[in-house]
Amino acid sequence: MKAPPASADAPTSAAPRVYKPEMGRGWWLGKRHYFLYIVREFTALPLALWLLWFLVEIQRASNGPKGYYPHSSIGFVVFSVIVLGFALYHTYTFLSLAGVIIHIKGVPARLIVLSQFALWLVASVVIAAVLIGFAR
Amino acid sequence: MVGGGLAGIRAAIAAVDVNPRLNIAMVSKVYPMRSHTVSAEGGAAAVLRPEDSYENHAFDTIKGSDYLADQDVVEAFVREAPIEVIQMEHWGCPWSRDPDGKISARPFGGMTTWRTCFAADKTGFHMLHSVFQTSLKYEQIHRHDEAFATKLLIEDSRCIGVVAIDMRSGRLQAITAKSVILATGGLGRVYAFTTNGNICTGDGMSLAYRAGVGLKDMEMVQFHPTGLPFTGILITEAVRGEGGYLINKDGERFLKRYVPNKMELGPRDIISRAMTTEFEEGRGFEGPHGKYMHLDVRHLGEELIDRKLPFMRELGREFVGIDIVKDPIPVRPVQHYMMGGVDADISGATPIAGLYAAGECANVGLNGGNRLGSNSLSECLVFGAAAGRAAAEHASVAMAVGANPVAALLADETRRIETSFLDKKGGEERIGTIREEMQHDMDAGAGVFRTKEGLETLTRQLGSLRDRFERIKIEDSSRTFNTELTAALELDFMLEVAEAVAYSALAREESRGAHARRDFPERDDAKWLRHTLAFRTDEPAPRLEYRDVRITNFKPQARVY
Amino acid sequence: MTEKRITIRATRFDPEKDRSPRLQSYDIPFSDESMVVLDALNHIKAHVDGSLSYRWSCRMGICGSCGMMVNGTPKLTCNAFLRDYWPRSITVEPLTNFPIVRDLVIDMESFMHKLKSIKPWIIRKQDYPLGAGEHRQTMEQIDEFRQFSECINCMLCYAACPVYGLNNEFLGPAAIALARRYNLDSRDQGIKERLPVIADSEGIWECSFVGECSVVCPKGVDPAKAIQQTKLDTTMRFVLPYGNRDE
Repeated sequence: MKAPPASADAPTSAAPRVYKPEMGRGWWLGKRHYFLYIVREFTALPLALWLLWFLVEIQRASNGPKGYYPHSSIGFVVFSVIVLGFALYHTYTFLSLAGVIIHIKGVPARLIVLSQFALWLVASVVIAAVLIGFAR
Repeated sequence: MVGGGLAGIRAAIAAVDVNPRLNIAMVSKVYPMRSHTVSAEGGAAAVLRPEDSYENHAFDTIKGSDYLADQDVVEAFVREAPIEVIQMEHWGCPWSRDPDGKISARPFGGMTTWRTCFAADKTGFHMLHSVFQTSLKYEQIHRHDEAFATKLLIEDSRCIGVVAIDMRSGRLQAITAKSVILATGGLGRVYAFTTNGNICTGDGMSLAYRAGVGLKDMEMVQFHPTGLPFTGILITEAVRGEGGYLINKDGERFLKRYVPNKMELGPRDIISRAMTTEFEEGRGFEGPHGKYMHLDVRHLGEELIDRKLPFMRELGREFVGIDIVKDPIPVRPVQHYMMGGVDADISGATPIAGLYAAGECANVGLNGGNRLGSNSLSECLVFGAAAGRAAAEHASVAMAVGANPVAALLADETRRIETSFLDKKGGEERIGTIREEMQHDMDAGAGVFRTKEGLETLTRQLGSLRDRFERIKIEDSSRTFNTELTAALELDFMLEVAEAVAYSALAREESRGAHARRDFPERDDAKWLRHTLAFRTDEPAPRLEYRDVRITNFKPQARVY
Repeated sequence: MTEKRITIRATRFDPEKDRSPRLQSYDIPFSDESMVVLDALNHIKAHVDGSLSYRWSCRMGICGSCGMMVNGTPKLTCNAFLRDYWPRSITVEPLTNFPIVRDLVIDMESFMHKLKSIKPWIIRKQDYPLGAGEHRQTMEQIDEFRQFSECINCMLCYAACPVYGLNNEFLGPAAIALARRYNLDSRDQGIKERLPVIADSEGIWECSFVGECSVVCPKGVDPAKAIQQTKLDTTMRFVLPYGNRDE
């Protein structure tokens, strides 16, 4: 939304100089709230990287169970654990805010948040069961 | 218009409605949403219910004014107020509602029935924001925000505009117009203890005064019974309307000895005097910031307080550290409103052609000696609209403003500002010091109770402050947003209107409405059923004239509640 | 008993003389426990240095004039008590992310423009005649938008928003909250008219839900909530068949 250069009705010639402050690069280190926000946003990056690595692993495993040795992917497992931490943090912050975003008349925000976490739990259990079933 | 509060903005919209081809300049020394209307809390009175009547509202107002109101003005006002309340609703004002969806009403001081419409306990805030935001859709309204008006342009006995300082650049500009409406609000800042914000310095009153218009009934200054000690922050009358009790040190609802029928819902002048008398007789609480009474709402319950008085709870918590649900509120009388103002008629016209006035800065004859709570917000709407219409009709047919006289007048004013203020060398007095002394002197001499000696002393003190003002020093030499210059100009205006108040009060030798003289404690209808008009002279003392009050249907009676 | 004193450091900037802002220190008496930062500034201006420039009016937290940075946090100076900082010193600076006009005074013209752009007035397809009286509205209907109508335009939220700091074209928390106030008002039928400005790339979609705006808001408006709810609302209108409604 571009603002007009100056009030069209004020005297136009030679408006005095204003000082335009610059936002420093370290702005997000100033407040704890800003820092946690950047961490939350940052989690998208490791998640994306993990997905790419995961695709590589799938490609490697495409030669069948005989050709794929878990111990040759220790790095992947470690990385996965770290990224799991990020993913949990991201999910926790996202679902906590559901009460703010979703507005249903008469339903208190806390209930909405709890229902989101409940859905997440159910979905996680179902997917885990399916994957483990496949693996068996 | 000069002033962007409720009356000013309402006038602008009314003017556009009359003639959409007019250009309206809204000149305000602050952004409009900062106008002091925003702090009004209680409500706006209007006859909206079938059990109410215009006659009832008119009588309440006239009796409340201690019979100093011009009754034809009151009768017109009560008929217009309901229309304006509905208009505000259409413009988005979130009036609180009854269960059937219609606009609700609450009881208020001096009103014999429930007719005060309200938006929670932030009525002024909601009204100002609604009307200001609505005004944004009119392309004809051009805002000059943070333009400080210093002088009216008068040529050939007509008003042709104003000179204003553009705060950003510091440059003086002439804003010419075929009609000018003054809607600059009150003058509370001439007092030390006031509910008014920093911007309420009587600018418009002084501008008109200097142009030769009379200031009417300047001795009538309203003291609101319930202000917080130290800050003077207003605790709305609605607290009493919802059932709050005023209690003295002895735990007594002392108003039973002063206004036994109405109790806490008596008119403001009588209750302020009651509290002051109780203080003088030793029945007030003593605190670090002076004496006070308790305003008790604990019996109303948390649910009602959160629904009807949430802002009061917030103010109590933030500024006094109390929870009004559990603690009584400390309160004392505080200067709040100015019944007096620029002499204007029922359509806002002043004796100068092309110059109009509306809102608190004007005195159209509505409030007389004492204003009833919740009449002011309605007054701004009704008389803002009236002035807007009259000004627009005048502008539609008036002659164009010539460029030459304007250029000369602007040059004169620029020279005055520069030599008297900006480029002044030397000077030893600080603006802040003179201002604080004036405020202290006004509190002492022109407060709730006045005496001849007190007022004479006050006029002498103001005279000496005026002399010292000639020797002020201005430390700020910048042209950009120079608030020291505007503070000096405001002090100049304030000293002017303070003198009008003091001399008018000295001359009125009776007690009527908010003007209470210890040496003349009775009302004297034989001699004083008339308005005071103060005209500026080159002396400190104004020339005082008098004009009879216009009585139509309500003969003056004893004022008992 | 020695009186208490406190140090106030305030930003000074005169475009006619200064290249950039600097801090000036003042040592003033802390004479009353109820004193707020605004009282300190007023004392400085009245008795120490008359050239200090700042905005203020109501001193009761309703006009929105006196917003400034107090020790790095956007606050209303009329509501920032000296006793909460003493004996530490207090640094008062103009609101972050805004151009500085003079000392503690910022340029708010772009905000006024944004305010107007969201059409903050009741829009109706057909004018409701005055003679018909008021629109019927219940307290429950008012409760829907009440919170978003409490904004005093103090702009602390803009000072707190890093997105606004990085991109001054962002419509911002207060403007979007006000748009939602009108969209939720049962009397208004202007949701579609406001959509182009709200759903603009500089509108709601620029917000990445930092949430600091709601933390600093002195009136509890919760603009972050307004923005996120608007995002959901706008998306649903786009997706669902009733999306073309006016209300």
